[in-house]
Amino acid sequence: MYAFEIERPTSLSDAVSALKAEGAQALGGGQTLIPSLKARLAMPEVLVSLSAIDEIKGICTDDEGRICIGGGTPHGRVAAELKDSYPALASLAARIGDPAVRNRGTIGGSLANNDPSACWPAAALASDAVIKTDRREIAADDFFAGLFETVLEEGEIVTEVRFPVPQAANYQKFAQPASRFALVGVFVAKYEAGVRVAVTGASESGVFRWTEAEEKLSSDFSAAALEGLSHAAEGMIGDLHGTPAYRAHLIGVLTKRAVAAAG
Amino acid sequence: MSVATPLPHDSAPLHVTGRARYVDDIPAPAGTLHLAFGLSPIARGRIKAMDLAAVRAAPGVVRVLTREDLPNACDTSPSAHDEPLLAEGEVFYAGQAVFLVIATSHLAARKAARLGKVEYEEMEPLLSYDETLAAGAEFEAEPRVWQKGDAGAAIAAAPRRLTGRIEIGGQEHFYLEGQAALAIPDDGGAMHVVTSTQHPTEIQHKVADALGLPMAMVRSECRRMGGGFGGKESQGNALAVACAVAAKLTGRACKMRYDRDDDMVITGKRHDFRIDYDVGYDDGGRIAGIDFTQVTRGGWSMDLTLPVADRAMLHADNAYHLPACRITSHRLRTNMCSATAYRGFGGPQGVLGIERMMDEIAHVLGIDPVEVRRVNYYADCAGGGGGGGPSAPRSAAPSPPERYLEQDRSPGSGHAMSGALAGAGKRFGAEHSPVARPVEPQTTPYGMEVKDFLLNGMTAKLLADCDYAGRRAAIRAWNERSPILKRGIGFSPVKFGISFTLTHLNQAGALVHVYQDGSIHLNHGGTEMGQGLFQKVAQVAAARFGVDVAQVRITATDTAKVPNTSATAASSGTDLNGMAAMAACDAIRERMAECLAGLHQAKPEAVVFEGGEVRVGEAAMSFAQAATLCYENRVSLSATGFYRTPDLAWDRIRGQGRPFFYFAHGCAVTEVAIDTLTGENRILRADILHDVGASLNPAIDRGQIEGGYVQGAGWLTTEELVWDDKGRLRTHAPSTYKIPACSDRPPVFNVELWDGENPEATIYRSKAVGEPPFMLGISAFLALSDACAACGPHYPALDAPATAERVLAAVKRARG
Repeated sequence: MYAFEIERPTSLSDAVSALKAEGAQALGGGQTLIPSLKARLAMPEVLVSLSAIDEIKGICTDDEGRICIGGGTPHGRVAAELKDSYPALASLAARIGDPAVRNRGTIGGSLANNDPSACWPAAALASDAVIKTDRREIAADDFFAGLFETVLEEGEIVTEVRFPVPQAANYQKFAQPASRFALVGVFVAKYEAGVRVAVTGASESGVFRWTEAEEKLSSDFSAAALEGLSHAAEGMIGDLHGTPAYRAHLIGVLTKRAVAAAG
Repeated sequence: MSVATPLPHDSAPLHVTGRARYVDDIPAPAGTLHLAFGLSPIARGRIKAMDLAAVRAAPGVVRVLTREDLPNACDTSPSAHDEPLLAEGEVFYAGQAVFLVIATSHLAARKAARLGKVEYEEMEPLLSYDETLAAGAEFEAEPRVWQKGDAGAAIAAAPRRLTGRIEIGGQEHFYLEGQAALAIPDDGGAMHVVTSTQHPTEIQHKVADALGLPMAMVRSECRRMGGGFGGKESQGNALAVACAVAAKLTGRACKMRYDRDDDMVITGKRHDFRIDYDVGYDDGGRIAGIDFTQVTRGGWSMDLTLPVADRAMLHADNAYHLPACRITSHRLRTNMCSATAYRGFGGPQGVLGIERMMDEIAHVLGIDPVEVRRVNYYADCAGGGGGGGPSAPRSAAPSPPERYLEQDRSPGSGHAMSGALAGAGKRFGAEHSPVARPVEPQTTPYGMEVKDFLLNGMTAKLLADCDYAGRRAAIRAWNERSPILKRGIGFSPVKFGISFTLTHLNQAGALVHVYQDGSIHLNHGGTEMGQGLFQKVAQVAAARFGVDVAQVRITATDTAKVPNTSATAASSGTDLNGMAAMAACDAIRERMAECLAGLHQAKPEAVVFEGGEVRVGEAAMSFAQAATLCYENRVSLSATGFYRTPDLAWDRIRGQGRPFFYFAHGCAVTEVAIDTLTGENRILRADILHDVGASLNPAIDRGQIEGGYVQGAGWLTTEELVWDDKGRLRTHAPSTYKIPACSDRPPVFNVELWDGENPEATIYRSKAVGEPPFMLGISAFLALSDACAACGPHYPALDAPATAERVLAAVKRARG
């Protein structure tokens, strides 16, 4: 590892000002960032750890009944606490990485990083979540901007993610056997206003909504409604773990599975 | 009696508590330096310029060496003298060592190695089978061709004929302990090298060659490896030579270990193969003739490619008596890491070729794949191997071969089995089992008579024990009702030839001391890589002296104690070193018996070593007292032992002779399930019956069988090596390359040992066990193919490894 400064602010406002320093970078649970630093994919001079800020940790429900997860909340806590109120989210969180990753990695860090194979972006997008930062609220539909890209500005911190609770939901993850990252992951959520389907792991431009499937499912929420519908291989990721055609095929299979499992 | 006892591995308590010492755990001398290679990032090119100023200026760097700084090429090849330690103006694979950094710490060396600026004139690498074949880049001037009868005529005359092809992937060894070496300069220019190696003598030889020293000036040592699997037969040479050269230059101890990514990129792997088959057969599935074409990618240097490819040819018949056969083998020189030894040494690839073909014949004929195999089996030896089944009462202690030291045995005398006269033993036979044909000699495609075959009886026993027929019918019925998930069941046998095919390697030495307190120091040329060799040989030594195995001190393999050893490879470790140790022990025992008999007016033959005691007539004393007495009577209590495998003769160019002392057998039935929507799959159950002769240690043998099966199944399912179109290995860490974990072993896993004795006079009539069970994993691959075949009328033609994506493609092919 190279030499860098580390700050551990205990309040959001301190963190915001610390991030104004030249070359500063927010550090969540560090499960992606630290390996990136080791590989010298990034070399920030100052790391501002968000792990001591209590006000962005924890889970609650707001007046509209939305589940609100603090940006600094580790996946393990979501897995443990949302089993009854939003089981699909709990199940997603329980399948991220391994216990060490789940105890350190945070929802805010994962969303801000927007890894194309990460699970959280699919949940946020399918749930029409609102991502609250230290300065604004952003709809999930507007938040993701391609591989490892979001609309977050320099120094902007994800403080909370608000998930409307669906009538039914399920997350299907096809894990790459070695890394256990999603080769393809599909999150299906059914709301009164309609069904949303978000796909992670598959596309060269990151998480996306499969609108054709959403339309079919909004009028008939059953796996049968998806018969004959397939996703094109164009634009899908082709790498050592799978071809674009295979990933496209998995999108169809996993979406049906998610619908069937959501019931 | 300490043999035939299921004792735990001698180092098990150390392994599980982390106290077992590996190379990197040895306290190094003060001032020890650490090494790292700068690697070529490209697969083929000329070095135009090298700027290593930044490397030299990096913190902690003591010296930086290129080829020009070396005393000579410092060749690290085990075969053709074609692997200079550092690139000589040209690079031939991505990962080849170009320069060597010597620094004050492991980290400093690694960091500095990344600072090298090397300019290359890139050239087009040879990577694929077809382009390399077209370029004529082969290790031998012409392909090896072995023939039995006229295969072409037999195929043409047969009622049926089919042709097919299977692609078989390679495999990373993934030993838990990576490659590591430590060189300590000794007096007068001598060198002491401690290496994680299966072949200390090779290390000694290569180090001596690089330093320009006689071998007597180099001492090579290895207490244990954290796994070898063939990956430390030749691949440790580069580290040991680098350390020795650096130690000589600096006068300080030098240590080197590869980081996991470097290890995977630099070192060779299992050979991948492409096998074409053209077979003529009849309506019952009986084969009239086969023409195999095996093509393998050997990588940039020869390493062990020739004997590996030979062994693939030698196992092209697997368990089947082929009336006519032609095997053609191309050994390609590609711009990839140099493929090397890996458990089975080409055998598994050869076996998979014919097993796949058997499967396709069964599919075409619509008959049970097991039946196609059984009609083609060699006939069992009379008596079926002295067999009871695994349920038969085990004889109390197998009798040791009485004439083990005699090299001039009359031909075939080894086949006289104790306790099982020819034809008197009970055979297991189902109604489809072919009748034994002991009269007419049955020969392999390379002209070796098969006299110890067991698989007819073993197959019948295994199929009955695991209810193969009932489960196969149940699976078919289940598949009818299950549109998405399909189950499959697969059977595969293995007949594996035991001996090095380079005949002179079949020798071993041992050194045994008995101290005056009765404790025993055991040393031999074999190396311990977790397989339990040391414990098995210690059991032999303990049995010869009639003492508890705890009284035998196991010591590190050391070329200063036992010289001119062969690699611990070819499954032969126990066969060779057990015999050598027995010879050494018996020499001491005879001297002790003579001395004690003299003191008690008895005959030496009447002296009994048993139960920790030595008895001479009425007198009894502890082994320690006996040792003291012998010492006081000035008896030498130290001896060497030597063994060479008898009756071997092999001509690899003609493909004729007896390359093997005997065959080890096994068979397995695996049940799997696949998801026809995604290709995901898992093993549900495995049943194994394996032949280890009279087991020296049933616990250790069982461990080898279980581990071999899981590693074999991993090779054919999840373990996928991916090189990109520039020849760079993309799977060089556990995050991209999936080896089986504990949770991947079959949830139902029944392993039984076939209770028999080796008809050949091996150590306590046991059989080698290291490699043969690896091939039982093929049953998992065949089960996956069976599940794919349940999806439609066509043959799925599954390639290996059967990743989810390949299984899905096979399902589509089955549907048509």
